[in-house]
Amino acid sequence: MTKEETLSQFLIETQTRSYRLAYSVLQNREEALDAVQTAVCRALERQDSLRDIGAVKTWFTRILMNTCSDVLRQRGRTVPFPEEGMELGGEDPEPADESLTRRVDALPAEVGIVIKLRFYEELTLKEIGEVTGQNINTVKSRLYAGLKKLRVAMEGAEI
Amino acid sequence: MMNEFKSAKESYENTPIPQELDARVQAGIREGKARYRARRGRTFRRWASAAACFCAVLAGLNLSPTVAKAAAGVPVLGGLFQILTFVDYDKTEDGIHYDVSVPRVEADSGLAEKVNAAVQERVDAHLAKARQDWDDYREAFFATGGTEEEWAGREMDVIADYEIKSRTDSRVSFVVTFGEGWVSSMEERYYYNLDIAENRDLTLRDYLGEDWVNICNSAIEKQIAESVDEEGFTFFFPADQGGFTTVDETTGFYVREDGTVVVCFPKYSIAAGAAGIPEFPIS
Repeated sequence: MTKEETLSQFLIETQTRSYRLAYSVLQNREEALDAVQTAVCRALERQDSLRDIGAVKTWFTRILMNTCSDVLRQRGRTVPFPEEGMELGGEDPEPADESLTRRVDALPAEVGIVIKLRFYEELTLKEIGEVTGQNINTVKSRLYAGLKKLRVAMEGAEI
Repeated sequence: MMNEFKSAKESYENTPIPQELDARVQAGIREGKARYRARRGRTFRRWASAAACFCAVLAGLNLSPTVAKAAAGVPVLGGLFQILTFVDYDKTEDGIHYDVSVPRVEADSGLAEKVNAAVQERVDAHLAKARQDWDDYREAFFATGGTEEEWAGREMDVIADYEIKSRTDSRVSFVVTFGEGWVSSMEERYYYNLDIAENRDLTLRDYLGEDWVNICNSAIEKQIAESVDEEGFTFFFPADQGGFTTVDETTGFYVREDGTVVVCFPKYSIAAGAAGIPEFPIS
């Protein structure tokens, strides 16, 4: 199998994970779909920059996170208006555990993403650093800041 | 793992997955592969055209003045005209990666001059707009709390490229594409169908006859209807919601090597962005 085929297959197999991650950052179905498609397109376009196929997960997550953070920044300078038919999807979930899920989503984006990658996606701090382009100390301080805000007991936390 | 996160993680894992996700991923794969090919094609052509120039220079050195004089009177091999890559560069400057190749029609004709000027004007406008977009983006990035560390190494791709779709001794059909890669990947295309011998632009009427509007519309409507899948989903918008209604004089098209006319619409104009640039062969 060529690298391109391996990469395409990886992107197809992990599409639900990619969507979940994008959705959890953007909290919007259409934007999350757009972000996944854009990131997938970019990944194939820049496949030459993936030197080690074994590192594909970190490599692609970084592309996806960059795409999402571009959307967030983009949103910051445009006035959002409710689009017609936006709620037609009817899939926006009511969180089962309202308290914590909502509180995680309400965190500032840069803190929230560290929490989500660590506890939802179970990435290591080193991997989080790689996919978000931050050094490990920044990751740590954002993680602690997030946990503090969530007022989650930190005893026994494997972080 | 903290217990409190368990149910939060569960609800995260239960995020409903939209039905069209698979189609969108497939569309992303297709588009990404095409862009990768285009990128490689440009690199290859750059080498090839460099090699061709080199040969031309060598040949030129070997020509005696008499031979050169005689050669000047001979029509250009392959017809009345040729298409050359006029501007060609691949460089990175101020965070913008330019990959630009601009065609030029070489022919003894007023039409060629007009087309060359129009192409150049569009290229200039596109590059200026890309620089403006990039400055705006960078400004917004830092204004909204982005750090130098996060910015590091960000690049925008600006692409101008062309493709000759078909040519005969006197006619040529080519497409000039502009692309700008960042948040919303935009792509614009311009279509040129020229008859050098007759010194004029070719139209859909020239290829399809007086009934060209009806011929195009029924072929396009048929293909849109065929694009609807078993679940009733299609990327195309309904006609009453900004979808396809009719072709007109401004509709872009190119001509394939086998003579088939292919009608094209701008991205987002009659279909969701995921459909890319909709193309309809008219047979």
